[in-house]
Amino acid sequence: MLFCAYKPLTNAIVAVKRNVIDCIPRNVLLLNKHSDRQISQYPVVDHHFDAVVVGAGGAGLRAAFGLSEAGFNTACVTKLFPTRSHTVAAQGGINAALGNMEADDWRWHFYDTVKGSDWLGDQDAIHYMTEQAPASVVELENFGMPFSRTEDGKIYQRAFGGQSLKFGKGGQAHRCCCVADRTGHSLLHTLYGRSLRFDTSYFVEYFALDLLMEDGECKGVIAFCMEDGSIHRFRSKNTVIATGGYGRTYFSCTSAHTSTGDGNAMVTRAGLPCQDLEFVQFHPTGIYGAGCLITEGCRGEGGILINSEGERFMERYAPNAKDLASRDVVSRSMTIEIREGRGCGPEKDHVYLQLHHLPPQQLAVRLPGISETAMIFAGVEVTKEPIPVLPTVHYNMGGVPTNYKGQVITHVGGEDKVVPGLYACGEAACASVHGANRLGANSLLDLVVFGRACALTIAETGTPGEKLSPLKPNAGEESVANLDKIRFAEGTIRTSEIRLNMQKTMQNHAAVFRTGDLLKEGCDKMDAIYQSMEDIKTFDRGIVWNTDLVESLELQNLMLNAVQTIHSAEARKESRGAHAREDYQDRMDELDYAKPLAGQEKKSFDQHWRKHTLSTVDIKTGKVTLGYRPVIDRSLDQEECSAIPPAIRSY
Amino acid sequence: SINVLIVVNRVYQVVLRPTLACPVSTRGYKGEASDDSRGDLIEIPLPPWTEKDGETMDMKRRRLLFQSRKRGMLENCILLSLFAKKYLNTMSETQLRQYDRLINEPSNDWDIYYWATEAQPVPNVYAGEIMDLLKEFTKNKDQEQRLDAPNLEYLDKGSQ
Repeated sequence: MLFCAYKPLTNAIVAVKRNVIDCIPRNVLLLNKHSDRQISQYPVVDHHFDAVVVGAGGAGLRAAFGLSEAGFNTACVTKLFPTRSHTVAAQGGINAALGNMEADDWRWHFYDTVKGSDWLGDQDAIHYMTEQAPASVVELENFGMPFSRTEDGKIYQRAFGGQSLKFGKGGQAHRCCCVADRTGHSLLHTLYGRSLRFDTSYFVEYFALDLLMEDGECKGVIAFCMEDGSIHRFRSKNTVIATGGYGRTYFSCTSAHTSTGDGNAMVTRAGLPCQDLEFVQFHPTGIYGAGCLITEGCRGEGGILINSEGERFMERYAPNAKDLASRDVVSRSMTIEIREGRGCGPEKDHVYLQLHHLPPQQLAVRLPGISETAMIFAGVEVTKEPIPVLPTVHYNMGGVPTNYKGQVITHVGGEDKVVPGLYACGEAACASVHGANRLGANSLLDLVVFGRACALTIAETGTPGEKLSPLKPNAGEESVANLDKIRFAEGTIRTSEIRLNMQKTMQNHAAVFRTGDLLKEGCDKMDAIYQSMEDIKTFDRGIVWNTDLVESLELQNLMLNAVQTIHSAEARKESRGAHAREDYQDRMDELDYAKPLAGQEKKSFDQHWRKHTLSTVDIKTGKVTLGYRPVIDRSLDQEECSAIPPAIRSY
Repeated sequence: SINVLIVVNRVYQVVLRPTLACPVSTRGYKGEASDDSRGDLIEIPLPPWTEKDGETMDMKRRRLLFQSRKRGMLENCILLSLFAKKYLNTMSETQLRQYDRLINEPSNDWDIYYWATEAQPVPNVYAGEIMDLLKEFTKNKDQEQRLDAPNLEYLDKGSQ
């Protein structure tokens, strides 16, 4: 692991980096601290790279590896050590139509994903992802990922929710490939290890502050090193955002405390739109309180959800799939039960996941970890008692809008326009392959396919060693000023208080089931909480390993994600995928697909909701502005794979 | 007696099967217990972890605080930040170094969780005072509510 460490006191460079042109601090930004006349100095180090990747999770590592392999001098800037990215939590697997368990076709996977997205997914991106899936898995295998095997040595594939054969008519498909129970870890380990052989430069525990934008073009990233408090400007013609999701805007989520939407916020501050942020996936079974995930595998093994009356209520909501219906269907059903008064516990605010009817042997062998998690975080003995569970925020379908090549886009004059120099992949991006709802095991696939796509697109459109265009000498000044402001903030409300206010508001007003009044109230509350950031109070004034500062900067990022999420949700007057509204229970498409199409008149763009939300924020006032862009309904090649026209979604 | 022999044979086979199959059989924690050949860990070695030189104890504590709170998955975030809240500021230098190695050397965050919950045996390099403290802490004998990681304000001397 190579890094450039700068010691401010002695002006010495500890390790010289290959191709770093300016390791000597050139610009020293001076800022006045008006309250006690102290001057804060922030030495700035400039780096030149062919490509910079922000984030070292599955998508970031795949992009960094692909770029390094193609000969680009690549920097990977990450606030966490690569194998500690949230990807490591993934224990499910990667979907790919390899056909090892039964005859399979990527077009069936394409159909499942389009249907799963409730027709909000862009079919060209979904075509690209599902077609590339088998090749991507084989490629990972060649890189050294030890996929679990069948007895005859082929990659073992298992069933996962929402995957079917023959366009939904052939029963359950088995296309999820895994590495025992550590698919996420193996992916990170393999890609990180391989990328080091190609000399990727990792800047670990560097917090990315903002994009360096000039004339609508992205020219790099500014970040600060937590180890010594120095500021670093990573200048590059190609910047890839792979910073993950923003689950931490909610009180109860399955995400680590690192999922703070840093990339989305950087893009928002750059004046660019984010897409579809109102689509937040709720996983049906997160432990009540802590939010730790209880895998779908539990229900796959025979676990059932019951209400306060001891009824297996999923039989009513999804007669065929029952407890294994799509995640949004199960989450909605659980919420309806709670709303109608059949919730469990003293406050009747959750339901139970029952496993104690299963033989203890089966529990011990197939689901051993569940017992520990249930005891440690919920105090429950699974062989005797049911586990209290609640739909918990799990994934963000929305993010930075890109085309299928990974290039970030804006929508100007009714046309998609590429933002030069900027790319995005992974959960941070919105290609959009998941649309309104993501299928399980499609996320790891999304990471590798689009991480690779960003690397390929950059390799196609540029060459290693290209000269960089000039950058204003004081670029990034506002970011450092903001850092300083937060570091010395002396308001009256603590970071943790503001954060809790935001999380509780989102949890109460923009959860699984949403209604107009509740959303409107939530929007007003969130706007006020956004303003309260002006009054923030931090307590740690240091610059080295200042966790309070980092968590406060993360709160700023979360805030931007939260306001866009709740305003987009309030505006969308329909129910689609993970966005479910009690007051608008049906999908509002351009045609009514529940009835015969002949003779129907197509609704105009303004009158229907089968479109992507684009949201921007005025940073000073916190005002959210919404726009829309059409869903892409054509596949990449109509002959190879015909697009799926919208239909009613039932399982 | 023939029946007895058959039964014994079958039990014997079941017991023997895991070791005859692939090299290492890990417990499927949140899904199926498929065999893990660990080929990536063997063939793609990562640069070894090294202790940081020239760090004061205070700096070590500050760094370890950040590294305790920001982990790969929620379970570790909650467990380690609560552990850090209780013990980090009173650890001796040896203990700090043990803790540093424990939370920074393992590449799979799940391993730390498995060791803390005693789901898997602790490798010798990590066994010691700190590991014992962590295991005891995880058991939650006082049955305190562990709904989330604590806020940082317990560190704010000004508020005390």
